[in-house]
Amino acid sequence: MEFLNLSFGQFVTLFGAVAAFSVALYLLDRTRRKQVVSTLRFWVQPGTAAPVTRRTRIQQPVSLLLQLIGMALLLLALAEFQFGGRQNARRDHVLVLDTSAWMGAALPRSPNRADATLMDLARANAIGWLRAVPASDRVLVVRADALATPVTAWEVDRRNVARAILESHPGATALNLSQSLQFASQLQRRSGSLPGEIVYVGPGRISAHEANNMSLPDIPAFRVLAIDDNVENSGLRSVNARRSADDTGTWDVVVRARNYGRRAKDVNVTLNFANVPQGARELNLPPGEERETTFTVHTRAAGILEARLYPKDAFGADNYAALELPELRSLHVTVYSNQPDILRPALTSDPRVVAEFRPNAPYMPRPGEENPGLIILHNFRPPAMPPGDVLWINPPVDNPPVPIRMRVNHPEGLKWMPDQPLTLGLRARDVQIETTSIFEPGPNDIRLAEVDKGPIMLARVSADGKNKTVIMGFDPFEGAMRYELATPLLLANVLRSAAPDVFRDLDVGTQSAGAVSMPLTSKLPVQVVTDSGANLPFNVRDKAVEFFVGESSRVSVIAGNSERVFSLTLPEMWDVKWTPPASARRGIPAWNDALRRNRDWWPFLATLGALVLIAEWIAYGRYSPLRLRVVKPRLERAA
Amino acid sequence: MPNLPNSPNEPLLDREFLERLERLAIHWQRSFAGLVGGHNRSRFAGGGQEFLDHRHFHQGDDLRAVNWRAYMRLDKMFLKMFQIEPRVPVRMLLDTSASMAAGTGEKFLFARQLAAALCYVGLVRLDTIQVLPFASQLREGQVSGGGRHRYRLVAEFLEALKPGGATGFLSVVRQYLNEYPQRGLVIVISDFLDESGCEKALQYLADYGNELMLIQLWTDDDRAPSWSGELDLTDAESGGHLRIQVDDEARRRYTEAFDAFSAGIKEVALRNEGKYTGLPTSMPLEEAIFGSMVRARSIA
Repeated sequence: MEFLNLSFGQFVTLFGAVAAFSVALYLLDRTRRKQVVSTLRFWVQPGTAAPVTRRTRIQQPVSLLLQLIGMALLLLALAEFQFGGRQNARRDHVLVLDTSAWMGAALPRSPNRADATLMDLARANAIGWLRAVPASDRVLVVRADALATPVTAWEVDRRNVARAILESHPGATALNLSQSLQFASQLQRRSGSLPGEIVYVGPGRISAHEANNMSLPDIPAFRVLAIDDNVENSGLRSVNARRSADDTGTWDVVVRARNYGRRAKDVNVTLNFANVPQGARELNLPPGEERETTFTVHTRAAGILEARLYPKDAFGADNYAALELPELRSLHVTVYSNQPDILRPALTSDPRVVAEFRPNAPYMPRPGEENPGLIILHNFRPPAMPPGDVLWINPPVDNPPVPIRMRVNHPEGLKWMPDQPLTLGLRARDVQIETTSIFEPGPNDIRLAEVDKGPIMLARVSADGKNKTVIMGFDPFEGAMRYELATPLLLANVLRSAAPDVFRDLDVGTQSAGAVSMPLTSKLPVQVVTDSGANLPFNVRDKAVEFFVGESSRVSVIAGNSERVFSLTLPEMWDVKWTPPASARRGIPAWNDALRRNRDWWPFLATLGALVLIAEWIAYGRYSPLRLRVVKPRLERAA
Repeated sequence: MPNLPNSPNEPLLDREFLERLERLAIHWQRSFAGLVGGHNRSRFAGGGQEFLDHRHFHQGDDLRAVNWRAYMRLDKMFLKMFQIEPRVPVRMLLDTSASMAAGTGEKFLFARQLAAALCYVGLVRLDTIQVLPFASQLREGQVSGGGRHRYRLVAEFLEALKPGGATGFLSVVRQYLNEYPQRGLVIVISDFLDESGCEKALQYLADYGNELMLIQLWTDDDRAPSWSGELDLTDAESGGHLRIQVDDEARRRYTEAFDAFSAGIKEVALRNEGKYTGLPTSMPLEEAIFGSMVRARSIA
């Protein structure tokens, strides 16, 4: 005999309070009330009213007793009184249904199950367990992949639970078993009823990372409905494309494949770009091993790169991967100089720069170009300012773009402004500048470098913010400075500033959805954006960016000068098979076990309590037809 | 509920209500001898303008009233009698006993409002009404007459009245008959709750030739108490106590007894050609005057 909702102490306390309140109300209700009336003559006529001859505090003890009994019965119903011990009490079970990507693997064909998947088998097992659960127990269904998602409340209605099971489908991510079981255990602790079983239905395929960090909660009643997934599968693990360092129009593509089966396999990997075959490779995959192969794709245009794995097997989702290659662009630089040879090595060393050299005289700007790229004016002043971004090296003293205060030979105290992207990485103070102009900067000019006498390098941004002009008062390609490291670094910063997209290190890859981690090489600000431009939440830990994507999508990680584009279209696969603990129960419970059940008594107790209170009201209520009748009156006169 | 004033300083009746009363007049059935100047015809002959009847001439009669034409034809002397509209003495007995103030006191307030309204009606019709408060004895009264502009005097008198004392109808009627022997209309506003009974005293009044206009007031609790359970009842006048247990049946019998009592009062009034009006205080004063009292032909 026990209470499900209240402890015995709580029940006694609650009943005591209710009983005391009831007795107080009872006595108050039956307290004699004083009333001043106009006359007593109509009360003292025979048969009018019953006089009170004896005053007692409790005049109708049966009424009070019935009230207390009725309230005690209602409280017992509220406390869910039950006969028997806790073994017979109602319990709450959590069904953890594996919905990882691997659950979409097809089972070997048989006459009974054509085109059946692991998910179908898991659903059937879950329904079988559900039928064995006692009718009064509550069940909550959790779908488990990389995230644990509850799909029902605590349900007694088996139809809702079965519907949730049947509507479960494989996701795109791998199983995070420990997180799912901890979540289920937490739900069960907070349910308020006695904990029942936590049942895991699935093959138990987890990642190597999780296998190494597995921390299962302490589950007193853990049951595993194992799904036999002895199917042969090999699949693509990732497809990565990176711009070649040697050739701007070439992509280096790396394809990784894994054999998840128990037998060695020879597979073929084919690569297509824009539906044009780019090559095929044969891979020998030992069981449980991973191999990679490389391809080279020559293209500057954007397009879809597709990788396929043959022959097809039980799990087709990882036999195909596609990623979108962006267009490869270059920066056009027009150099107006009478000394092109001293500039040529610095500009032609980067394949992403297309340099065009023109003499200063006659000055012939390229007409009608909205975005002419970068224009370098070397020791020269054109009659009119060219459009677009301009690098002006050592402008003449006569009519300069910025007023020149003086010319200085061998200036001292060189200082680079550290907070400007144009001087990024420049720290050298002992750079030997032969001669330089000292500028009188305007209020909107940005100082990039200065010496003791004043600024020697400025930047100016147009009013609309689109074009930049960098003015150097010195010629870095002249004298000893030509051989300094600062010179190409300075030029590289100017080029990157003119076209940041062109110089960004681009890395495109396909891998599985779920938790993604990317190593970080710099401490620059990181941005993780989706195709639609929405920012994804991410975490930077241990020199790596970590974020989570629950479904197939395309995500870009931009960190400083590098951009990594993830086409998260491959399903997240497992690495190892989890072995359930020895204490875990196996299989669907026996039907006899399910028949040990009690019944709920609270509806009967509540009904009985209500009936007792109604009976008391009929017998003793103020407006009851059965109230006491009148007897002989008695008039007491005041003295 | 009557038109209860919001504060003690407010008048018993507001101006708008008084204006509505101006079309009413107090009516009585009997003919009383009285001075010329009233508005009700009397069967008593007098110095009026309207011919009433002939009678034989007796010695001492006024020769100016002899019908000389009839004497010439018939050789007998007939005297012409003329009808008068006398000013009949109207007296109002207003119950100020403690029972009128039992409970919330609404009965006493209602009685004073009703008395003020009747006085105003009389003032408008140039009737003279003497208001006589009473409990166990007659108290000092107030004469209301001389036109509507004298209403303020009687209103202040009624506002200043305080309830108290036991009701003694018999002693009050004896005192009244001694002090006011002239017959007339007697308006009694009371709850008629006298321990020794009031029917006998009212009969005395009628027997002495007065016309009775009985207005009985009661509160809802007076007629149909809402209490139940064990009660300690105290009589507002006598201070008597009664410990009693009340249920629905007891309340029903109580109401029957009260209705029988009211029927007895009404019977006294009707038996003596008077008028009876029973008014619960929950009834609005306007409805009491323009409805119940008009239907009872007490005023019209």
